[in-house]
Amino acid sequence: MSQRPPARASSLAAAITDAHILVATGAGGVGKTTSAAALGLAAAQQGRRALVLTIDPARRLAQAMGLEGLADEPTRVPLPAGHLAAGGELWAMMLDMQTTFDRLIHRHAGSAEEAEAITANRIYRQLSSTLSGTQEYMAMERLHELHEQGAFDLLVIDTPPTRSALDFLDAPRRMTSFLEGRLLKLLLKPGVAAGRGIGKVVGAGATAFMRVAGRVTGMELLQDLADFFRDFEGMYDGFKQRAEEVLVLLRDPRSRFVVVTSAEPPPLREARFFLERLEQEGLHAAGVVVNRISPEVPRDPSDAGLTRAVRSLQEAAGVDPDAPNDLDQQPSDELAMSGALQLLSDVRNLAARQRRDVSAGLFGVEVPALVEVPLLDGDVHDLDGLASIAATLSTGRTR
Amino acid sequence: MRSSLPDTEGYDALLGPHVSIVTGKGGVGKTTAAAALALAGVASGRRTLLMEVEGRQGFSRVFGTQPWDYAEREFRPGLWGAAIDPAESVYEYLELFYGLKRVQWMMERSNALDFVTTAAPGLRDLLLVGKLYEIAARRRPDGRRAYDLIVVDAPPTGRIVPFLQAPEAVTDIVRVGPIRRQAGQIKEMLTDPRRVQAVIVTLLEEMPVRETTEGIAALSTAGIATGPVLANQITLPRLDAAAHARLEAIGAERFRTEVSDHGARMSGRTAQLTLDLAGAHIARQRHQGALRAELAEAGATVLGLPLLAGRTFGPDELEVLADVLALQVGEDGPRAEERLDADGYAAVAGGRV
Repeated sequence: MSQRPPARASSLAAAITDAHILVATGAGGVGKTTSAAALGLAAAQQGRRALVLTIDPARRLAQAMGLEGLADEPTRVPLPAGHLAAGGELWAMMLDMQTTFDRLIHRHAGSAEEAEAITANRIYRQLSSTLSGTQEYMAMERLHELHEQGAFDLLVIDTPPTRSALDFLDAPRRMTSFLEGRLLKLLLKPGVAAGRGIGKVVGAGATAFMRVAGRVTGMELLQDLADFFRDFEGMYDGFKQRAEEVLVLLRDPRSRFVVVTSAEPPPLREARFFLERLEQEGLHAAGVVVNRISPEVPRDPSDAGLTRAVRSLQEAAGVDPDAPNDLDQQPSDELAMSGALQLLSDVRNLAARQRRDVSAGLFGVEVPALVEVPLLDGDVHDLDGLASIAATLSTGRTR
Repeated sequence: MRSSLPDTEGYDALLGPHVSIVTGKGGVGKTTAAAALALAGVASGRRTLLMEVEGRQGFSRVFGTQPWDYAEREFRPGLWGAAIDPAESVYEYLELFYGLKRVQWMMERSNALDFVTTAAPGLRDLLLVGKLYEIAARRRPDGRRAYDLIVVDAPPTGRIVPFLQAPEAVTDIVRVGPIRRQAGQIKEMLTDPRRVQAVIVTLLEEMPVRETTEGIAALSTAGIATGPVLANQITLPRLDAAAHARLEAIGAERFRTEVSDHGARMSGRTAQLTLDLAGAHIARQRHQGALRAELAEAGATVLGLPLLAGRTFGPDELEVLADVLALQVGEDGPRAEERLDADGYAAVAGGRV
């Protein structure tokens, strides 16, 4: 796309220059990690100290960034001098959710014994790895921690591959509403584990539920749950306050969201919901990145011209265009050229379909900037590949 | 890896087990592949149920029907669809085992369902897998199975083993009661290669292929059989390396004048772009071939699905994909033969003609 005139700075380009936090979000498998890394690199190239927090980078991408076998602490990515403006640094780290959660428990627990009791509880072990939104919450938690330490100009975070990208926005709230939920209160009342004497306190519905839950699951589960939440109670305020701080941080005008998608309808649907959600929540969208899109093909020659030439070339090569399944075709220049024209037609059809899907998918929602990252020949696995995406993101065409 | 494929031919090679759990990395086209697999099931004469568990409404969109829900409905002759919702499963479960009709509003009032269905996906998964078990075990009045084939659009590879093992995980916590009893039966079903296979969908790209080999290993450790790996969006070759070499020799300028003489007038820029596209096309074929070989080396039986470069993608394209699968196991696939030429089919089938 180098032949395009330089576009005016888009809101995405602006975010690379002045945002403090960039959150890359979108459906699974759309290239969030690569986009996050490219955003970090683009900022470093402009002389900023950028940290990319990532979840599960492709092995070769991780290798390129010097991330392989990394613990969850920031590590400097060695960049050749030509890649950077003065003062620019690229750092990266891999998030380990369990470590973050354990650390959180230790921070908020009243004592070391209390923390031990919680981390040893089998309900905790189950919930900390599977509780919906936990991963997202932990990612935000770590983000907040790094923000407070203040060592970086820009923090780029790659959100976890969740069932739905929206889970992540709900994570802090779900965490707190779960913690203050009625069920939790119920479990914290003495005697609950035995399933009696609670009707007066919480009403008939809950009593019936507890009785059923007890019969379905066995009493032991309820006892463990009650223990777990009782241990947790002391930390509840700390958690809640922290979750609110995270939300405040995300609402800051210097925190921006980059919605990443491919040009397929399902991830586009998620991108659209996400943009709507950001607007409702008063969060700031920097732009949409459409990854792996077929390059736009000029309109010449016409479709009819293409079809005509393909037929004519095949006839010239002595091939019956109506029976192209003939395997005994002799290679010839005509067939090579007709193949090239068919390829052009394929790419044009696909490009048209993808752009139509993008327009339809994002119809009616405000898109601050839309940057297309073209389909590359192979996977992105070195700094050059990343640098070319970084260049597209910071100068890319907007719409 | 246990595979049902090399020994058998025909639809049984593809759809031998009663249940096909379709998984794969996000963005690889799991839903499309699951739909194609189900259509192949219908073509084979199987009474087929297509089941969605993640509430995305992917199938209703691609088939152009009303949104799906918990009820199993026949939306094409021989093909049923349902979108399974964990909350509905809770009510059904409690009613089934305890005759508790009134429990629904009670649970709604106490917010308990929030906990069950959103806060703890382990329980959510348990309910979904439990529902699958219930459908698979269900019989028609004449004793035959309710469905000959069940195709599940399951969670992605990263979550598939925890998803399927949710009943087991719960038995770590729950030591008595019906859940524990049922968990044993569910495990028995899932680890029986005649009853259940996992079908992993992938793109021939680094990350999805890596997730596929990891997924095969994880499923195998869990005792769950892996059926064919479906390699999606394979490039249909328009040019091979020899033809590309000819194009390079011809050069952009002569290419432009020649094709213009044949009726496709184009600018020098488009001519150059076409040659660049041809280079990328060859590189992509090579890259895909190498990754496919990597999968085969890892022991996977790979069936290909083409990237259909039409201007639209709808139910007709799903039928083409179903036929492409059918052809690869030696069955008829007229719509695939119509849409793909011999080279195209050979590329998709990985040389298996």
